[in-house]
Amino acid sequence: MTWALQAEWTKLRTLPSTVWLVLGTVVGTVALGAAAIAAVDIAQCPSPTECFEDTTKLSLTGVWLGQVTVVVLGVLAMTGEYGTRMIKPTLAAVPERRTVLVAKAVVVTASVLVAGAVGVVGSIIAGRILLPGNGFTVANGYPPLSLTDGPTLRAAVGTVVYLGLVALLSLGVGAVVRDTASAVTAVLSLLYLVPLAAGLVTDPQWHDWLDRLGPMTAGLAVQATERVDQLPIGPWAGLGVLAAYAGAALAVGALVLSTRDA
Amino acid sequence: MEATIEVRGLRKQYGTTVALDDLSFDVDAGHVTGFVGPNGAGKSTTMRIVLGLDAADGGTALVGGQPYPQLRTPLCHVGALLDAAAVHPSRRARDHLLWMARSNGLPRRRVDEVIDLVGLSSVARRRAGTYSLGMRQRLGIAAALLGDPPVLMFDEPVNGLDPEGISWIRGLLRSLAEEGRAVLVSSHLMSELEDSADHLVVIGRGRLIADTTVSELLATASKGRVDVRTMQRAAAMALFANAGGTAAVNDRDAVTVSGLTAEHVSGLLDAAGLPYFEVTPHRASLEEAYMDLTRDAVEFAAPPVGEPR
Amino acid sequence: MTDRPEVAGRDGFHRLLLAEWTKLRSVPRWVLTVVATVVVTALVALLVASSSNADANEHRVVVGPDGQPVSDEFHFVHQPLPGDGNVTARVVTQDDSNAWAKAGVMVKEGTESGSPYAAMMVTPGNGLRLQANFSTDLAGAAEAEPRWLRLTRSGSEITGYESPDGSVWSKVGMVELDALPPTVEVGLFVASPNDVQIHRQLGSIGVGETPTAGKATFDNVSVVSAQPSKPGAWADLDVGQPGTAGASTESDGMFTVTGSGDVASDPPDDDVVLISLSPGVLVAVLAIVALGVVFATSEYNRGMIRTTLAASPRRGPVLAAKAVVIGGTTFVAGLLASVSAFLLAQPILRANGYGPPAFPEPSLSDGPVLRAVVGTAAALALIAVLSLGAGVILRRSAGAIAGVLVLLILPLLVAHALPPGAAAWLMRLTPAGGFAIQQTVDRSETALEPWAMIGPWAGFGVLCAYTAVTLGVAFWLLRRRDA
Repeated sequence: MTWALQAEWTKLRTLPSTVWLVLGTVVGTVALGAAAIAAVDIAQCPSPTECFEDTTKLSLTGVWLGQVTVVVLGVLAMTGEYGTRMIKPTLAAVPERRTVLVAKAVVVTASVLVAGAVGVVGSIIAGRILLPGNGFTVANGYPPLSLTDGPTLRAAVGTVVYLGLVALLSLGVGAVVRDTASAVTAVLSLLYLVPLAAGLVTDPQWHDWLDRLGPMTAGLAVQATERVDQLPIGPWAGLGVLAAYAGAALAVGALVLSTRDA
Repeated sequence: MEATIEVRGLRKQYGTTVALDDLSFDVDAGHVTGFVGPNGAGKSTTMRIVLGLDAADGGTALVGGQPYPQLRTPLCHVGALLDAAAVHPSRRARDHLLWMARSNGLPRRRVDEVIDLVGLSSVARRRAGTYSLGMRQRLGIAAALLGDPPVLMFDEPVNGLDPEGISWIRGLLRSLAEEGRAVLVSSHLMSELEDSADHLVVIGRGRLIADTTVSELLATASKGRVDVRTMQRAAAMALFANAGGTAAVNDRDAVTVSGLTAEHVSGLLDAAGLPYFEVTPHRASLEEAYMDLTRDAVEFAAPPVGEPR
Repeated sequence: MTDRPEVAGRDGFHRLLLAEWTKLRSVPRWVLTVVATVVVTALVALLVASSSNADANEHRVVVGPDGQPVSDEFHFVHQPLPGDGNVTARVVTQDDSNAWAKAGVMVKEGTESGSPYAAMMVTPGNGLRLQANFSTDLAGAAEAEPRWLRLTRSGSEITGYESPDGSVWSKVGMVELDALPPTVEVGLFVASPNDVQIHRQLGSIGVGETPTAGKATFDNVSVVSAQPSKPGAWADLDVGQPGTAGASTESDGMFTVTGSGDVASDPPDDDVVLISLSPGVLVAVLAIVALGVVFATSEYNRGMIRTTLAASPRRGPVLAAKAVVIGGTTFVAGLLASVSAFLLAQPILRANGYGPPAFPEPSLSDGPVLRAVVGTAAALALIAVLSLGAGVILRRSAGAIAGVLVLLILPLLVAHALPPGAAAWLMRLTPAGGFAIQQTVDRSETALEPWAMIGPWAGFGVLCAYTAVTLGVAFWLLRRRDA
């Protein structure tokens, strides 16, 4: 297993695309987060005390964009092998196929967690810098974002875990589908379409169910620090939903990988 | 570990197409074994099954007495070149070998050794996507040699190589066998194997056609045939036909007769008073022997040139 | 050899089109994608239609003479006018209670809310207008009050005049009110629409409406009838149910009138056509993006591009042919998808409350509906070509698909979370604005969906611009780079 891990780590770090994708996650997360903060001003609220803006969640909006490169990284870790026919030397070198999948899962997730942590911390810092300028000041009841604050810490850690789970989901789908284009499309649809559909469905019950079942909406419930009891799904339960998606994708991926011809 | 490949009763079907049908053969240490058959005969499928990439529908393939998927450090048991294009184009060649070394716990210096061995030292830091076909072939061979394995499998290793590369590979194959390794080399062209293989496994349409040494095969193919050179070709051919032989035209003044011995042929010619320059037992080329063997097993045959369509 | 069959090649752009079409239709997976796109779009439309319901019809819905939902609430000081004649008044003052507060003279069939009318009015923010039947809106001079207004009736023709001094009159316009009874109600009216507050609370955008009270003073009020009759007495009432009750007082011929509400078309916030098209189309977009990108990148994966360019060395036309084939195919498939989504979803939506009178029944022959249905197909075709261009530029399917989807889908999500100003800019700056072509209802202030932030043609234009630029860059790179 150690050897398989070393091999997969070597593979991952020797591809130029990995560096770009990991950087993309960090930059995408921080950039969209900063843009979202910049677009919201306390003056848009009826009054500062009636605003109830969840500034932590707002600052972490950037993962909506940052997750895209995570999806590509996760999917390519598997489909890249089929696209370049590298799967043959890979399985010839490590014939135990589940080991290959686990090793890939470990190295991809580890890289994504690091990138995610940097991106999330960057977003929080951006929030600390930009929020007061838009009226979210101590005087208006908004202390600076801080990771020592329990809910903010949960949101930050949960967001990093969210990105890790998205990577695992993508890897699993990649192992099942084997084709880059289909796998990227499938994962991005799963993530983005549910919240969009929820916006179009007018029935509030359907709306709540979609929020509970969508991997992105459920998984990002962990970002909430305001009115957590009113969410369609609890923060950790939401991450559990995403983890179930990722687990199912990996399980089917492992089954397909070990039963189908390479 | 023994340097052998044992294939027993392999069967494999893709949909309704039977790729392998009860295929059995052995590859022994110290020889280069040629694995030949027309395109689509099942050579690559066999090799993929030996490496555990495809699952057989029946039968077993063992390397050194063990199924490949059970090997802990497979690269130290079997080295294989299946598909020289199977590298990530953006990865540096050296890194490609490095991850393989890592996967079997081989030291980093082994990577440099095999790079030197195949003569890629000067270009090892280039991205694999910039390699020519010949360079990729060498990179694939380096990968196969990485674990210094006693068993080696090469699928069409000379494809796309220049004459110098071809002769390099032939020398390499021979020297690997002389070191006591079992070497299996597939090809769809017998001529490629003529100078390097000692033993031959011939398959067609997934079945074993011959499992023999090169010299035996040549002897069988030559047997019972006589080359005759005469200016009076038509008369001679009629003569042989009457005597129960079959004659095939080779040239303006040459025919090959089968079904009659050399003594019988010269006796007939002498008795009829036909002049001839030469009557000798036929010496078949490996290519010819192979064509005889696989005539019925060619999957995609073009109609012979000149026949009406 | 004399019997060798002649194989003569012929040049021409349509050969390239045929070649690319053959490539497209000979990959079963691609054909399946196109077919699945049509089927899934229709199915999603059905599903979303079944899960949507509206309660607008459970409340009283006021409809105008054409059957469209309207708002018809104001304070009316009126008297009957038998036969032809005119009503004249000078608006002395008007409070600036709302930019569209209305004060003026009106000719109305009766005092029933929603009945036909014509009115000359002044507004604080939009000048002098002649409006009729909730649809006609003609502008007069934009000068401030005091302002003399007059409406004359002659049969079904109502003509509006304005004057700065009561002696020199200029015509603003003439409207025709069909089936007007012999005796109509004429008089003074004051209305003032609700103030709309869009504000952010709990991280999302909320809409609040508060009634405003308009107030205006009139003098020189006169009603002249062509038939001999005694001067009528003034009565006053609130037409409809305004948010705050109006009132009027008169002293020495000076009328002071307060009123609340609006006299205008009031389209529903929900766009029935958009509801039936957009969910399915969002799914279709994913498939189309993947198809467009792969149609380009598959050439690079296996070195096919070398074969393609060896067969036709002029690279510009090759890309053009690819764009025409993928765009044309997607347009036809998209049209099938949008028409069937519309036809399948409409009856279900009607059964779920999206029916008249609150939601007038849309028909494929209505201009805006046709624009939405055909525009959807055109937008899908543009997206396919945009994806093709992205595929040629990036040559990698993963990057190109992710990139195009981020530009098309993410803005819609982000726009939901941002204030309307930022959302509008997102729609103007990203090709996601193209989805606005699916709107059939005029945007109101209270519609906060991302695609309501930009006009249908403006959004479509943004998508066109993106496609053109992407394809241009693709052309340039394809000619410049080695294959």
